[in-house]
Amino acid sequence: MKIISKEDFQSFVNALIQEDSWNVIGVKSRGNKFAFAPLDSADELHLDYDVTLLPPKKYFFPQRETLFTYDISNGFSAKNPEETKPMIIIGVHPYDIIALLHMDEIFRETKSDSFYFKKRESSIIIGVNIQKMSKYNFSSYMGCATVDYGYDLMITDLGNRYAINVGSQKGEDLLSKYAKNVTLALARDVQTAGQKKRGIMNQSEQEFKFPPELIPELLKDSYVKSGFWEKHSEKCLACGSCVLVCPTCYCFDVKDNPDLSLEHGERIRTWDGCLLEDFAKIASGENFRATRPTRYRHRYFKKGKYLFDRFGFVSCVGCGRCSSNCLPDIANPVNLFNDMYQESQNAGAQFATSIQPDVNIKTEGNIDYVPKLATIIKKVPMTASETLFEVKLEDGVELGHKPGQFVEVSIFGIGEAPISISSSPTKKETFELCVRKLGNVTTKLHKLNVGDRIGIRGPFGNGFDAESLKGKDLLFVAGGLGIAPLRSLFNYVLDNRKDYGKVFLLYGCKEPKEILFGEELLSLASREDVEFKSAVNWCPENETWTGSIGVITTLIPQVSFDPEKTIAVLCGPPVMYKFVIADLKGRNVPDDHIIMSLERRMKCGVGKCGHCQINHIYVCKDGPVFNYSKIKGVPEAL
Amino acid sequence: MKPKVAFFDFAGCEGDQLQVANLEENLLDLLGQVEVVSFREVMKEHSDNYDIAFVEGSCTRLQDEDRLKQIRKNAKLVVAIGSCAAIGGINSLKNYKDLDQVKKTVYGEHAALFDSYSARPIDAIIPVDAYVYGCPIDREDFLQVVKSLLLGKKPETPTYPVCVECKKNENVCAFERGQFCVGPVTRAGCNSCCVNEGTICWGCRGLIDNPNENSQKEVLIKNGLTVDDAIGKFRLYFGWQEAKR
Repeated sequence: MKIISKEDFQSFVNALIQEDSWNVIGVKSRGNKFAFAPLDSADELHLDYDVTLLPPKKYFFPQRETLFTYDISNGFSAKNPEETKPMIIIGVHPYDIIALLHMDEIFRETKSDSFYFKKRESSIIIGVNIQKMSKYNFSSYMGCATVDYGYDLMITDLGNRYAINVGSQKGEDLLSKYAKNVTLALARDVQTAGQKKRGIMNQSEQEFKFPPELIPELLKDSYVKSGFWEKHSEKCLACGSCVLVCPTCYCFDVKDNPDLSLEHGERIRTWDGCLLEDFAKIASGENFRATRPTRYRHRYFKKGKYLFDRFGFVSCVGCGRCSSNCLPDIANPVNLFNDMYQESQNAGAQFATSIQPDVNIKTEGNIDYVPKLATIIKKVPMTASETLFEVKLEDGVELGHKPGQFVEVSIFGIGEAPISISSSPTKKETFELCVRKLGNVTTKLHKLNVGDRIGIRGPFGNGFDAESLKGKDLLFVAGGLGIAPLRSLFNYVLDNRKDYGKVFLLYGCKEPKEILFGEELLSLASREDVEFKSAVNWCPENETWTGSIGVITTLIPQVSFDPEKTIAVLCGPPVMYKFVIADLKGRNVPDDHIIMSLERRMKCGVGKCGHCQINHIYVCKDGPVFNYSKIKGVPEAL
Repeated sequence: MKPKVAFFDFAGCEGDQLQVANLEENLLDLLGQVEVVSFREVMKEHSDNYDIAFVEGSCTRLQDEDRLKQIRKNAKLVVAIGSCAAIGGINSLKNYKDLDQVKKTVYGEHAALFDSYSARPIDAIIPVDAYVYGCPIDREDFLQVVKSLLLGKKPETPTYPVCVECKKNENVCAFERGQFCVGPVTRAGCNSCCVNEGTICWGCRGLIDNPNENSQKEVLIKNGLTVDDAIGKFRLYFGWQEAKR
């Protein structure tokens, strides 16, 4: 520990501000509140603040960030944005430092987010121990009121001088180069600093009525608590304030911002929030978390359970910003969890401490937001609203996908949309996308022609494990556009026919004119190694139809299969699964013999942006292919 | 060929068209993308041959309906610009008063010479393809909508409230400053411009699709407004929308 007088600390900060090679940021007053902002002078610094409006997260994961700029005027080009200056951030409270440690793990998992880490790694954090706790702060309960790690320098106010803990070589160097009259701490200083730190612990006005370590365990049984979430969210404005001010929230949206030339522009990401109405809505209009109680519940589960199961921490540091920003006063986690605990106690529930999950964060490279360029080499209209596009990557490299994976298709100026790959990996050099005209990207895609260029990111997702299906009988059940992802596996199986047992394909759609891959399906009739059945919901009088009439489940009794040897592979509209699964169960198909591909709003493709989340599952990376036995207990899945 | 655009006004202050005329450094770029064939506020020429019609103002007379229908017939796309055209706007305040009294207040002894009915947004009369909300419209928001339409894209109109932008802009909440704001139920897209300047959100972009009106009114009252004042806060811009809900 080192000691510096307050005067010399002022000079130190001013010396840092004089340097041109970095931006110096500190806590400044804003109205009757405080905010992190660029410092012009050390006089502006308020190290005795209670809490800032927004956490320092905004400097690493900004409200709005350019992922790349594009130019379509001369062919196509996309380039990454320029580097930004390193930052020195002065006055970060311990809970915000720990929140950044949370963010580090989240942004590192699976694919590392270079935008975040470039800024994070080049920055210097000068923390300050809390001197005044805000009314809603409960960081002491969350173990986040003090911290021994995650800073370069940490300051404790000792009256007329500061104690400085050095947390890194960068901090040490900064101090020795820019600070004058720094001395080693004496025993009395160490002791006073320790007392100050401990004093903070008793300052919280909030009170947990149970040990917060129990939160994950407590949540476990409260998902369907009758009326609980409805009652607590009745006054929710769905304004998103609670998540937007949160130091550990990281959901984002990605969109294009063309300039007026319409040829240049940027793709940006902006903060988003799971409390907002359209967060889980997909282009077809289906909203997977349409009501306020479901979104309100998701926030608590994400913080208290899902992230705990994945990373081993309750993703709340107790800063109290959500509580203080909620106008109807329903966002305070302390109140909600106390209520939940009380109700559980009344019901006689007993809680053991939550079991720490095994955490093994793997990182495989960086997220690449810049798509590869690709050309449409064939465009086959299939129905009034669906078209099959054959696409080739311009760099000549194969896509290298597994059946069931998806890509993000970009049209610069319009945006990006997840599209499942319809062709089998056995088809080399090019791949196919069967696309329904629904949202902005897919509508524009339908207006493009052979020779036009699009952007492709991916492939993403787990895909079907074609290897493990070898030797099995396969029952494909496809509803409507659900044939698109299934076709990648189906064709793969046909191309490796001898590796698989019996193959059934059941396909249903609304009416004959909506049938996809009609000719391909017709040719199946002549194959003896495939049993193909189809149904339409109705057939207009002037059209002919020789298959069945009715919903897809009418086809299941028409085929005879051995439930023990058969794997059912399902894909269709959300409403289909419940009924098909019930019928398969009626035919004694075991749960783990049913696999399915689910549709959600996959935006980033790498388990970060949050839009595709089904409870704790990220469809974009944990799926889109799921074994029924693994998701049947996941309430938002089916 | 550049799409032909035309501007029209109904009951309103023409402040939205003024925002377009004031696009400053973006005006030339915009004119590089579209051909303006009718814009009474800035030019004498007029043509009925246009692709996109921008309509300002609410419909407050029966005879305005025919003109609106004609515009709809002529245009491929109709865009409502400004609160009056998009949500009925401030004109709808009169819908909560006696019409004869309103006419007398405005026209005095000549009241009988003028027609008037309750104010309504233009989509109460004709289908509308896109909306630029605001009183007046935000120039950047207008350009976003125009760029979307030119690219053949449905404009990404926010369904979330102004609070989202306010929080991102790190404003001190109006309620924390002892003021009363309807930002939590008002459609975003303005970049919380009024609160950024230290005032409040008056609600000029209209209610979001699914506002929690009861909770918002409770918040207003809890913070010290009378019930009547809370209702007044909502009526200022949400009058038509509330009556419809």
